[in-house]
Amino acid sequence: MVALVNWTTLHTKVLPSLLAGTSRHPLPGELIRISDPSSDGALEMLSLMGQALRLERPLTPDSFIVELEIKDERKILADGLRRPLIRLLTAKNATEHPARALARAFDRLRLRPHPFDLPLIDAFVRSNAERLGPTAQHWVDRQKPDAGTQSHFDPELLDESNWAQATLSRRVAYLEQRRREDADAARVLVESTWAHEDADARFRLLQVFQTRLSTADQSFLSTLEKDRAPRVRALAMKFLARLGAGGENPALRGCLERIKQSQSGLLRKRTVLQLELPANVKDQAASRWILQAFAEVSFSELAGAFQLTEKELIETSAKDEPLLLALAFISTSERHLDLLELVVEHLPNSWERMFESGLDTLGTMTESERQRWEEIIVHPYRKDLPTIYSLWDWLHRMTDAEAPPSVMSIALKTKLSVKVPEGERGTAPWLEVIAAICPAPQRHELREQLAEFDQSQTVIPLALLDILDGMENDRTHV
Amino acid sequence: MSLNLERIEALAPDQASLASARKLLKPSKWPTLAEGEGLVWGECQGSGATPYRVVVNEADAGYKCTCPSRKFPCKHSLALMWMRADRSTSFAAAPVPDWVKDWLSRRRGTSSAASKTEDEDQPKSRPSIRLTEMPEAGADADPKAEQRAAAARERNRLEREAAVLAGLEDLDTWLSDQVQHGMASFVAQTAQVCRTIGQRLVDAKASGLAGRLDALPTRLFTLQGPARPAAAIRELGQIHLISQAYRRVPVLPELLAADAKQAMGWSVTREALLSDPDALRVDAKWRVFAVISEAQPDRLRRVETWLWRQSGANGMPQCAVLIDFVPISTGAAVGGYLVGDQIDAELIFYRSTIPLRAQITTLKRGAEQINEPLTLPDETLIVSYGKYERALAQLPWLGTFPVTFRSASARRHGEQLYLHDDEGEFSLPLHTSQTTHALPLASVGPIDGIGLWNGYDFTLAWAETELGRWLRS
Repeated sequence: MVALVNWTTLHTKVLPSLLAGTSRHPLPGELIRISDPSSDGALEMLSLMGQALRLERPLTPDSFIVELEIKDERKILADGLRRPLIRLLTAKNATEHPARALARAFDRLRLRPHPFDLPLIDAFVRSNAERLGPTAQHWVDRQKPDAGTQSHFDPELLDESNWAQATLSRRVAYLEQRRREDADAARVLVESTWAHEDADARFRLLQVFQTRLSTADQSFLSTLEKDRAPRVRALAMKFLARLGAGGENPALRGCLERIKQSQSGLLRKRTVLQLELPANVKDQAASRWILQAFAEVSFSELAGAFQLTEKELIETSAKDEPLLLALAFISTSERHLDLLELVVEHLPNSWERMFESGLDTLGTMTESERQRWEEIIVHPYRKDLPTIYSLWDWLHRMTDAEAPPSVMSIALKTKLSVKVPEGERGTAPWLEVIAAICPAPQRHELREQLAEFDQSQTVIPLALLDILDGMENDRTHV
Repeated sequence: MSLNLERIEALAPDQASLASARKLLKPSKWPTLAEGEGLVWGECQGSGATPYRVVVNEADAGYKCTCPSRKFPCKHSLALMWMRADRSTSFAAAPVPDWVKDWLSRRRGTSSAASKTEDEDQPKSRPSIRLTEMPEAGADADPKAEQRAAAARERNRLEREAAVLAGLEDLDTWLSDQVQHGMASFVAQTAQVCRTIGQRLVDAKASGLAGRLDALPTRLFTLQGPARPAAAIRELGQIHLISQAYRRVPVLPELLAADAKQAMGWSVTREALLSDPDALRVDAKWRVFAVISEAQPDRLRRVETWLWRQSGANGMPQCAVLIDFVPISTGAAVGGYLVGDQIDAELIFYRSTIPLRAQITTLKRGAEQINEPLTLPDETLIVSYGKYERALAQLPWLGTFPVTFRSASARRHGEQLYLHDDEGEFSLPLHTSQTTHALPLASVGPIDGIGLWNGYDFTLAWAETELGRWLRS
C-alpha cells in the first residue's frame, strides 16, 4: 500500500475516520493506492496514523505556576543522616516516640529535613511541621486554598516587630518569655493581633496570661466574656475569678460541697480535709472525675475558702488521696511546682494516678518546668521503677522533652535488661521511649544496656540514638 | 552462636538445596564477599539478569537473598553460610552497605530457623553435606537423546510458527472490526474486547502481542479521557505494525527481524544469548540509575534495572536494561541492585535495532555505592529527545527509552508536573505517580539528569540539583 498523505491530511482526513469508525466515516480512498487487493488499506492507515501520533511532540503548556520562594534560614540535615532518618521514620511498627525526639532535635538545633525527603517522610512532616521550619510548613500547607498567600517566614530571633510572623508555637513561647520580662508589653502584643487569631490560637495565647496575672489584665480579660470560643471564655472567667473580679466561681462551690472539714488530734487539734467522691465514681473513674471537677479551681481560692495558706491546705489534705490528687492537678495546671513537690511527698503514686485521669496537657509550662514536673512525679518510684509502656508513653507525650538526667539515671540504675520481666523484655516500644527521652550525655550508658537485648528489639532505639548523635555532632549540615 | 556445618545442615530445607549450594562454593561466582558487624554478605551471579544479593547474620543465622527461590534458605544463602563456616574463603572487612542496613531495619525478629536446637527431634531425612560429595547420576550426555530433543524442539518451533500466523489472521479481523466501529467505541469497552483477542493470541503462542493487549486497558485509563481515543490508535496501530513485521521476518534486516520476533514473544534464553558470537558485548563500568518494579497480570513481577555506561569508548550503547521476572509471591519487590550502585561488568545485548536489553556475562567486581554524578552528555532535553525520535524511526515499536537532559527545570501546570527545557520551549509531562515526590524540584534551579520516556510520560529517575541529588527511589 502506498499512502499519499502529509501531516495535515492525516489529521484532517484520516484521524476523524479512525475515531468515528470507517463504517460511518470511510477513509478517503483517493489517498490510498492499494497494492494488495485483499486489503482495503484501513489497517495500514491505522498503523501510519498511530506512528504519526507517536512522532508528535508532547504539547508544552502555555504557562506554568510561579513557585513561592520560601526563606528558610535553617541548615539542611547532613547527607549522611538522610537515609537513616528516612529508614527510621518509615519503619513499620515504630511508635511515635522516635519521631517526637527527632522533631525536637530539628527544632532545638535549627535544622530542617532535606526538601527532597519531605515527600518520603510526609506523615512526620505533617505532624511536626511547626518544628521543622518554613519549608516544611509550606510543604504541609501547599494543598490549602490560601497556600499561595500564606507567609512561611520563620525568623530565627523574634522581637516585637516580627513575632506575629512566626508559627503559633513559637509565638506562644515568645509571649511566655515576654510575660516574665514585661507582662504589660506582652498583653499589648496579644491585644494587637487578637482580632485576627483563630479560636485555637486565641486559647493558646490566652494561656500565657497565667504568668504574672495581675489586675492590669482585668480590662482585657473582661472583653473576653463574649468571645466566640467557649474555652476562651471559660479561661478568661477563671483568670478573672483569680483576680477576684469575676464573681463567684461555680466550680469552686461545687468542690467545696464535697470537701468535709473535721478536727483530729487529742492534744493539738488539727484541721483535716477529706474529699467525698460521688457514690457512682470508683477506681480509675475517680481520677478522671477529680481532674474534671477541679479543672476551673485555683489553689489560692481553694485555700482561701478554708482560710488556710496553700502549704497548710496540703498538710490538712495529707491523709486524703483524692484531695491530694486534686491538689496535684491544680498545682500542675498553675505551674506551682514547689507545691506539687509537697503534694507528691504525700501522694507517691501521683504518676500513675495522673495517667489514669486522662490528663493530656501541661499547659504553658516551659521545657525546664516540664522536666522538673517529671522529676517530681518520678522521684517516688526511684527504688521500684515501673516499666509499663503505657506509663512511659504518657509521660513522654505529656512532657514532649528529654527526661531530666536524674530520671534517666534512675532508669539506667535499674539495669533495664534485668529489671524488665522476661515476657516484656522483647517489648521494643518501651525501649523506643527510653531512647527518645535519653539526654545526650547518658546515651553511651543506655547503648551499653541495650546491647543486652535481642538485636531485633533494639534496631529502632539504636538507630534513633545514632541519628540524634549525628544531628548534634555532624558539621556537614548544609 | 557462630555458623557451623551442622547448623547449616539443620537449616537446609532438603538435600537438593545443599547439593545446589555446593556448586556455588567457588569464589569466582561471588564477585563480592564481605563481612562486618556480625554480618556476612555477598553477590552471586545466578540465571537472572542481575546478581543476587545475599546477607547472613552470623549470630542468629538470619538471612536474606534477592533470588526468587521459594526454598528457605535458598542455595545462595546456604552457600554463603557454608563458605563462612568452613573458613575456606576470605571475606573482606567492609562497612555495612545500605542494602544490608535496609534489611536489618525491616527484620521483625530472629529467624525461626535459628530457634532450632540440637535437642529437637531430627527429621528422618536430614540433609547431609557429606552426601553432596557424591557424583550425580546420569551426568553424562546421551547423544541420541540430544538428537531427539533437538528434533522435538524444531517440531515445536514449526508448530508455534504456524499457530502464531493463524493467530495473526484472527488479529487482523479483530483490528478491522475495531477500525470500522471507531476508536471512541473501542475505548468505551476496551477491557472487554481486548480480553478475548488477548486469550486467542495466548493460545496462538503470540505471547508478546497478547501481553500488549492485556496491558492496553490499563495503559489507556492512566490517560485523561480526551486523550484515550488517539492513544488507542497509537497502540492498535503499533500492534498491527508488529504483526506485519513478523510476517516479513525473512526479508527484514537481521536486527529488525530479531525485534519483530521478540515483540511477538519469542524469547532468547540466556544460554543462547551467551553462545551468540555476533551478540554485542560491552565491557565497562555501569551505574544503576533506576530500578523499576511492576506487577504483571501473569502473577510475575517484572524488575527493570537501568544502567548508564560510565566508561568505555563512544559508539557503544550508552544505556542498558537488565530485566528479571520474579514470582509476586516471593515478595521480592525490587531487584538486587540499588540506584547509585556501580558495577564493573561485561554486558551482552540482545539483538536489536536499538540495543537496550542486556545480561551480565562477567562481573569483575561486585556493586559498590559511589557518590559521583552520572557522566551525562552535554545535551539539553530537546536535543536528547531527538535521539528518541531517531530511534523510534528505526524501531517503530520502541518501548521505554532513556532521555538525558542538562539545565532543565521542573514546572507545574495545575496538578501536572513537567520537565521543561527553557531554551527549546519543550516539555515532557512527568508520570502522575511522581507528582508528589518530584514536587520539591519545582523550587530549585536548573537540574541535570536522566529519566525514561515511554511515549506518553516521563519517569524522572535521577537529577543533580543545587540542593544535591534527587533520586526516584
